[in-house]
Amino acid sequence: VSDRIHATRTTRQWRLVDDLGTRLAGVQQMAADVALLDDVAHGAGPVLRLYRWARPALSLGRFQPDGDVDKHACDRLNVEVVRRPTGGRALLHGGDLTYAVAIPRPSGAAGDVDAVYSWLAGGLIAALGRLGVQAEIGRHRGPSGPACFATAQGADLRVGERKLCGSAQVHRAGGVLQHGSILLEHLRFDETDVLVFASPGERDVARRWLGRAPVTLDELGVASEPETVAAAIVAGFEDHLDLTFGSRLDLPFR
Amino acid sequence: MELPNELRYSAEHEWVRVDGARTQVGITDFAQDALGDIVYVQLPEVGSTVSAAGPCCEIESTKAVSDVYAPVSGTIVEINGALADAPEQVNADPYGTGWLFVIEMTDLSELDTLMDAAAYRALVDEE
Repeated sequence: VSDRIHATRTTRQWRLVDDLGTRLAGVQQMAADVALLDDVAHGAGPVLRLYRWARPALSLGRFQPDGDVDKHACDRLNVEVVRRPTGGRALLHGGDLTYAVAIPRPSGAAGDVDAVYSWLAGGLIAALGRLGVQAEIGRHRGPSGPACFATAQGADLRVGERKLCGSAQVHRAGGVLQHGSILLEHLRFDETDVLVFASPGERDVARRWLGRAPVTLDELGVASEPETVAAAIVAGFEDHLDLTFGSRLDLPFR
Repeated sequence: MELPNELRYSAEHEWVRVDGARTQVGITDFAQDALGDIVYVQLPEVGSTVSAAGPCCEIESTKAVSDVYAPVSGTIVEINGALADAPEQVNADPYGTGWLFVIEMTDLSELDTLMDAAAYRALVDEE
């Protein structure tokens, strides 16, 4: 399938948007990614964007109910709430490095959700390997609920039984956008502090799960500086996915 | 993979069930299986107009959010409101209770661009 992704519509020449230093607000981050998806859907080449967040942000999945958010807790903890164009459940950003990949939608089976996840996972696994981390694809089997890292998602990257990287996709006419979040370090609070749960019991289950299921690069004892991790992602993509980053972009609206 | 012979199919994996100038639309067994567990369906508004091959609603599964494309042009005259509470019907019964919407067609000749079950099966087998 990976060969067919290349053979169909995804060129080997990619663009890179290095936004590690910009720390845009959450709303701007999502607008930037949607702009890249639109760009690709209208004929531009594939693009990888890497970024961090100006302050902690809770991103909700495309159709996740607003009622899942504890707005008072978000205000108290200075957490911005944004909505992703991609699916999935809520994810707390701030201790992570976020990536967005926008590619022309490959035709046929290569454009299937699982095929795109698997293909990009190969690049990410190669990137993590450069950092000394042996990650693998895993379907997460956490409890259902509003928190991403505590619930079932598309394709996760795990180290042993612990989740290091979650991802989500949106498929539009002509383009696919995949978001992913690689955990660098823990914040002093987690999703269970800023989400509403159906019952205290459900919150406790999610809290226990979040306490042991996700793992950060810092915990794994490998390099977790954003610049180092970003460089590993770029190299991992180039090596494993057989592509080159021919240009480095500044977003047009900045 | 179930493919009822009485339906016609689009390359984007929608099916249509024609009844005069009206056609009921859903996604195929192949599509629901590829999407995985469907958790939300955002249907088009009744009265809105859609264009053949244009995106007209969205389906979210546990894996991704995906556009659904209108197989023919026309006006949305009915939607499957039951999916608001039971989106999993798209997985359980894609050609029955999991239908999505009904289009009043503006150009019946567009049906000729759709595939019969055998042609659609060949397309899927190629993938």
